[in-house]
Amino acid sequence: MDIMEKLTILADSAKYDASCSSSGSTRTNGKFGNTAYSGICHSFSSDGRCISLLKILLTNICIFDCKYCINRNSNNVKRAIFTPEEICQITINFYKRNYIEGLFLSSGIIKSPDYTMELMIKTIELLRHKYHFGGYIHAKAIPGCSEYQLKKLGSLVDRLSANIELPSNESLKLLAPNKEESKVSKIMNYVKVNQNKNFTPAGQSTQMIIGASLETDLDIMNKSENSYHDYKLKRVFYSAYIPVNQDKNLPILKMPPLKRENRLYQADWLLRFYNFKVSDLLDKNHPNFNVLVDPKCSWALNHLNEFPKEVNSCTYNELLKIPGIGVTSAKRIITSRKFFKLNFNDLKKMGVVLKRAQYFITCNGKYNLNATLLSSSFIEKNLFLDDAEKEIGYGKQLSLFN
Amino acid sequence: MENNYPYLTNQVYIYDNDFISLLSLIKTLLKNKIRPYKIEGKEYNPSLFENIINIKVENNSNILRELKNIFGKENMQIIYYVYSSCENNKELVIYYYLLNYFKFKDNLIRMRNLRCVSEALRIKEKVAREAHKFKGFLRFKELKSESLYAEINPDNDILFILAKHFQKRLKEFNWVIKDVNRKTYAIYFSQKLYFANEEKINLKNVEFSKEEESYEDMWKEFYNIIGITLRKNDRCRMNFMPKKYWQYLIEMEDER
Repeated sequence: MDIMEKLTILADSAKYDASCSSSGSTRTNGKFGNTAYSGICHSFSSDGRCISLLKILLTNICIFDCKYCINRNSNNVKRAIFTPEEICQITINFYKRNYIEGLFLSSGIIKSPDYTMELMIKTIELLRHKYHFGGYIHAKAIPGCSEYQLKKLGSLVDRLSANIELPSNESLKLLAPNKEESKVSKIMNYVKVNQNKNFTPAGQSTQMIIGASLETDLDIMNKSENSYHDYKLKRVFYSAYIPVNQDKNLPILKMPPLKRENRLYQADWLLRFYNFKVSDLLDKNHPNFNVLVDPKCSWALNHLNEFPKEVNSCTYNELLKIPGIGVTSAKRIITSRKFFKLNFNDLKKMGVVLKRAQYFITCNGKYNLNATLLSSSFIEKNLFLDDAEKEIGYGKQLSLFN
Repeated sequence: MENNYPYLTNQVYIYDNDFISLLSLIKTLLKNKIRPYKIEGKEYNPSLFENIINIKVENNSNILRELKNIFGKENMQIIYYVYSSCENNKELVIYYYLLNYFKFKDNLIRMRNLRCVSEALRIKEKVAREAHKFKGFLRFKELKSESLYAEINPDNDILFILAKHFQKRLKEFNWVIKDVNRKTYAIYFSQKLYFANEEKINLKNVEFSKEEESYEDMWKEFYNIIGITLRKNDRCRMNFMPKKYWQYLIEMEDER
C-alpha cells in the first residue's frame, strides 16, 4: 500500500474528531518550526471547519467495537497503518510548505492500549528528536495505557487529551461497551495534575458526541461544567453525531444535529468567558436550548426586568450579559468610559452589535427605541423571527426540529 | 508658517514613499505646528486647487528609536500597521493620531470617540487580520535548490510582518516570498532577511523539486477527504476563506 492510499484511509477515519485547534502553547524549543500562541488556521474544508493540523490516525485497526465509530471492529472497511517514518515525512513536508501548524495524532487500538501508545510515542519521539520538529502536536491518549506512557507522551506534545465521547456512563455502556469512563478520567486527571510548561503546555481538551444518545442539553452542559471544573480543560468540543453505521442502539437521522451543536458551543462560550452557569441557562423544566434563539438572548428575554442597563455605569459582569456585547467590546467599554461618556455611535465603533444590544441598553439615560417596546414579544418578533427565516431560507438544518 | 485655519489650506505635503521619510515629515510638521491638508506619496497628482509642498526634512536614521521613546512601543506598532495599509488617507490618520498623543498621552488609545483613534485602530485591526490570514493561507513550493518560494496577493503591505513570522518559523531554510501586487520580495538566505523589489531580482525559469508535485497531490487529497459531506457548508467556508485567497491555495485549484 503506498503512502497516498494510507493517507486517504487514515485521514478519512480521523475526520470525525472535532478538535483542530493549535493555540495556547508556550513551548519555545525546536530548531524546525514553532507554535503561534493564538493558533493559525491554514485552510477551511468544504464543511467550513478550520484545518490547522494534519489530522490522521496512526492506524484504523481497532479491537474496540464502539457502535457509532466508522473504525469499529465489526465494520468491513479497508485498514491501514502508518510507519513512524511515514508520518514524520508527511508532517515535515506539509509543515515547511505552510499547509499546517502541526500534527494531530490519534489512533485505533491495535493489539492493546499499551502497544498502541508505544507506537505513538515512537512516532512523536522521532519527529521531535530526529527531525527537531518544533510545531504543534496534539496527541490523543489511549484509555487504558500506563502512567509511564502518559508521562512520556505528555512531555513530547503540546496537547494531550482523551475524549469523553458520550455524556453519561449509561450511554457509554450502550454504545461503546469496551470503553470505561474511569479510564478516560484517569488520563484527564493525570494531565491536569502534571500540566506545566514542559508537560502538555497547551493543556487538554475533550469531545462529546451530540445526538447519538438520549441526554438532554442540560445533561451535556452539566457534564461540561463539571469537566471544566474538575480537569481544568481548555475546551470541550461538541460533535454532532454523523450517522456512519447502523445499529439498533443508534438513532436514525437524516442530518446531523448541527443547530443543536451550534447552541451548545454558544452556551459553552457563555460558561467560559461570560461568567454564566449552566443553572442560569437551563433547568429541569427547560432541559434543552431553543433552536431559534441563542442562549444568551434567551436568558436576557427571560430576565427582561433586569434591563435596560446603562452602559456608562453598569458593571463588567452586567455588560457581558447584554446580547450584542462580547468580551472584547465589554472590555473596551470599561476602559473608555473612564475618559468620556459613551453614546450609541461610540458603541458601534467599539464593535457592539447594536441591532441586538439596542433593546437592552441605555446610553446616558437614553433608550434608542420607544421604551414601551421593551417587551419580549416585540424583541422576539424583530430579532429572532428574522434570523430564523433567514436560516430556513439558507439551509434545511432546522427541519429536523420542526 | 503656523496655520490657524487647518480646513482652509490647500497644502499637500509629499514624502518619499517609505515609513522613515513619512515619520520624518510628520515630525517636522508637528514641530512647526503645520496642519497639512493632505500628506501623499511622491507620485501624487494634485488637483487644480491643491498646492504641492516639498519641505526639507532631516533624514535621521535614528528616528524610529527617537519616536519610540516619545510615543511608546504600542503606538509605534499601531502607526506601522496603519502605514502598511492600503487606505487612502492613512498618512493623515497617523498625523492626527500622533498630534493627539501630546494631549492625551497614554490614554489616547482608549479615546475611541476621536476619529483619528477609531480610524487608526480600525485600520490596524484590518491589517493585522489580513496578516494573520496570510500566515495560514500562504503556500510555499519547494524549488530544485531546496529553497521555498511563495507568492501572495494581499491588499495591504504585509510582507514585512509575514517575513518576520517565517523568520522565526523556518529559520533553517532559505525562502522567498513575493508580493505580486507590489512586486516586492522578502528573501531569507543563510539566516539573513532581505527585502528587494523587482529590478534587483531574477526569478525566471524557477524549477520545482521532484517531490513537490507528490506532496501537493497529497495535500489536495487530504483536503478533499477531511471535509464531512453531510456537514457541507459553502457559506461558512466562504466566510472564513473568501475567494480572493484562493488564487494561491493549492487545495482550491480544482474549485477555482
